[in-house]
Amino acid sequence: MSSPVERQPLLRVEGLTKAFGGIRAVDELNLAVAAGELRCLIGPNGAGKSTLFSLLSGIHQPDAGRIVFKGEDITELSPFRRVRKGICLKFQTTRIYRGLMVGENLTIARGKVRGTNGRLEWALGVLGLAGETARPAGELSHSHQQWLEICLALATEPELLLLDEPTAGMTPEETALTADFVIKLSGQGITILVVEHDMAFVRHIARGVTVLHYGRVFADGTLEEIEANHEVRRIYLGEQ
Amino acid sequence: MRGPLGIFSRVGGRQDLGRGAAFWVAFAIVALGLVAFPLFGSAFYLSNLANFFVYVPMGLGLCLLWGYGGILSFGQAAFFGISGYVYGIVAQNLSLTPGASLLGVAAAILATVIVAALFGYFVFYGQVSAWIIPLLTLVLSLILETFMAQTAGYQWRIGHVLLGGYNGMTGIPSIQVGPLEFGGASIALYLLTVIAMLLGYLGLRLLVNSHFGYVVVGVRDDVERTRMLGYNVARMQVTVFALAAGLAGLSGVLYVSWGNYINPSSMGLYAATLPVIWTAVGGRSSLIAVTLSTVALKWLADSLAVRGGEYAFLIMGALLLATMLFFPAGIVVSLNRLWRRARRHAP
Amino acid sequence: MNVPYIVSLAYQYADNLAFLLLAALGLMIILGVIDVINLAHGELIMLGAYTTTLAYHRAHLPLPACVLLSFIGVGAFGMFLERTVIRRFYRDKLGALVATWGISLLLSQGMLLFLGPSLIAVPLPEWTLSYAGYSFGGYRLFSASILVVLLAWWIFYRTKFGVRTRATMQNPAMAQALGVDTRRIYLYTFAAGSALAGLTGGLYAPTTTIVPLMGTTFVDVAFITVVVGGGANPILGALTSSALLASISAPLSSVFGTFMGRIGLLLTALVIIRFLPRGLSGYFQDLQRRRMAGARS
Repeated sequence: MSSPVERQPLLRVEGLTKAFGGIRAVDELNLAVAAGELRCLIGPNGAGKSTLFSLLSGIHQPDAGRIVFKGEDITELSPFRRVRKGICLKFQTTRIYRGLMVGENLTIARGKVRGTNGRLEWALGVLGLAGETARPAGELSHSHQQWLEICLALATEPELLLLDEPTAGMTPEETALTADFVIKLSGQGITILVVEHDMAFVRHIARGVTVLHYGRVFADGTLEEIEANHEVRRIYLGEQ
Repeated sequence: MRGPLGIFSRVGGRQDLGRGAAFWVAFAIVALGLVAFPLFGSAFYLSNLANFFVYVPMGLGLCLLWGYGGILSFGQAAFFGISGYVYGIVAQNLSLTPGASLLGVAAAILATVIVAALFGYFVFYGQVSAWIIPLLTLVLSLILETFMAQTAGYQWRIGHVLLGGYNGMTGIPSIQVGPLEFGGASIALYLLTVIAMLLGYLGLRLLVNSHFGYVVVGVRDDVERTRMLGYNVARMQVTVFALAAGLAGLSGVLYVSWGNYINPSSMGLYAATLPVIWTAVGGRSSLIAVTLSTVALKWLADSLAVRGGEYAFLIMGALLLATMLFFPAGIVVSLNRLWRRARRHAP
Repeated sequence: MNVPYIVSLAYQYADNLAFLLLAALGLMIILGVIDVINLAHGELIMLGAYTTTLAYHRAHLPLPACVLLSFIGVGAFGMFLERTVIRRFYRDKLGALVATWGISLLLSQGMLLFLGPSLIAVPLPEWTLSYAGYSFGGYRLFSASILVVLLAWWIFYRTKFGVRTRATMQNPAMAQALGVDTRRIYLYTFAAGSALAGLTGGLYAPTTTIVPLMGTTFVDVAFITVVVGGGANPILGALTSSALLASISAPLSSVFGTFMGRIGLLLTALVIIRFLPRGLSGYFQDLQRRRMAGARS
């Protein structure tokens, strides 16, 4: 009757549906994510990955279905309340306060918390932002802006971190650094979902992979299973 | 820096122009000069200066709301007027009660905050487009002016206080604390306006450099981003709107204490325009710039009224247009930038 | 509830609707296409009224010619404004608002200095109907307003210019990539909105006192109509908004006076934007999109 707390997934998505214009971006999607997981979401363009993230974070409301987080139905919850519950999204195109300094960006993201956030300090160090607090955020390089945005998300002390294409526009070295960082972050207990196009990143992460197609889960498994899956290859490359 | 000393680092923070020892020494000198002025200024000058300083809290409120919060409002005059009228009604009706004027002040400012919060609830919780707020606040000011202008006649009264219609409410008692009366030509009122101006400026400077202030700026720069960092943006916007209204209310009670009257034109079209002009011309991103421009433009309007009143708003309109076209950051702010650039290139 | 009373009510409703529609349409078209609020809109209406009045008294032209002159003249002035001021603010919408407010002050104060506090009005054309004890001024503008809306609709949906304008509205970058000269579209749209303001001023000139500040009596209802209508679809928004608001202001003002009518409008606007933040036209647009989404599944 009562399942052990450890087996209850952190995030459960049931029958989620969202249409824009005449197109169903997300179509009766079901997904479960366990606490502490690190998982990549891949799929061809238009598969619904970013829409899923916007639904999870509350930017858009689904037409049908529900989202359950830590056992609580959050489908109707407004975005800012979801952040307070512990879900934070890193946007696909960087959204930071360009006119403000890095330190000021972080001040806003941290909220009125007293004391230091050890994880945040560590992240700033690893990502090369520790000495940049006085620099206007708009002057950072593109990859540093991406990293700053991940730090802003971390500053909200999330339990579930949604990263939407964190390595877009990064060099292979920066991509590898980001992947290492994400792995270490996962090791600290944060549940992380990453939407990515860059297969080098996905392979570096080498954890669970979920493939979306036409708004539904097409395949789900370990990296090896997905790479060996002919159907997945087909939807990416077309009929052979 | 935490603790009481932290306040000093925050007031000195970078969210306004003017930092460092030079600025604060100059500030202290000016402040002392203003406070000491009654020793050698005539009652006439004191009264005139007090009249200019009365409007500074209202201008600072709009600076906070528009410059730091990104919300353009034409409603400051409406709240100024509501405050003046409510004070007049309460203070005169309770004139036999001790402390009536203080009750009037409290009632007046409370009234502005309540009306602002109510208005804000409809506007900000709907997440409306930015242009709606200036339009609706302008309409609010126009409607209030029209309403008060047609309240002539004995039937238009609250308690035994006549609203006065187009001619407005007269005979409003000045604020009185014990034996001290803050009347129009008095040193007491002059000092009160100076203190209101200085404390208003310092208090807002503290606010904009605080965590709350940064979040307000965050809401201005990227609403969605701030929402996605866990902030109840609508509630913050209503708070800032109500705070600005309260400051306009403060200006309102100081004004009626100075002049002992209020009339509908204090809320009308021109009155609604003035705070926007002060803020735009000074530079909405800087509290000190708006303080300076409010006093300067009030002085300019007064001088024009004496010499050729018809030209006053023509010049104001030209000034506003010229500022928006050529000095969009504001004249004081632009001058400061030029000065900074000149200093950097100096040998 | 007798027939003449109902006719009188319908008449007042039509009257109110015409006023709101004519006052707001130009402003809404500019908002919808360019996404800019022209706070000098009331003064453009004033210029139209002054042009008609002066043309009538000084040039002795027949009234329709005067109104046409207002339409063209204020439209040309709008083009001048767009060229010199407005186009600098396409990236700064609030800045456009403030700058046009400066223009508004210049125009109204300038007119006060230039032509004095008032002009002798054009006499109201002598067409009155009497019906069962109620008399109706024949010079009423309901039909004019409908004609104006039909003209605007025709231009928007039936001409090439209209297609290009709608494309610019939806996606300026895309329209440019397809060869649409968006700067021209903005110029002509602003001119059209201004011309409509001039037309409104000219049409209403015989019915009111000609003073430099007359623009304000038009703009407070125009602004409310625009807020309630929303910029998503200017013509639909103007029509539905004025139809809704007239149904509130007509009964309120006939029973309690024009002032109460306007308070009612402000309160209505506040309630509507709370729940339909993009106005009526935005709401209809969302409904349409949702219907299309449902139809596909």
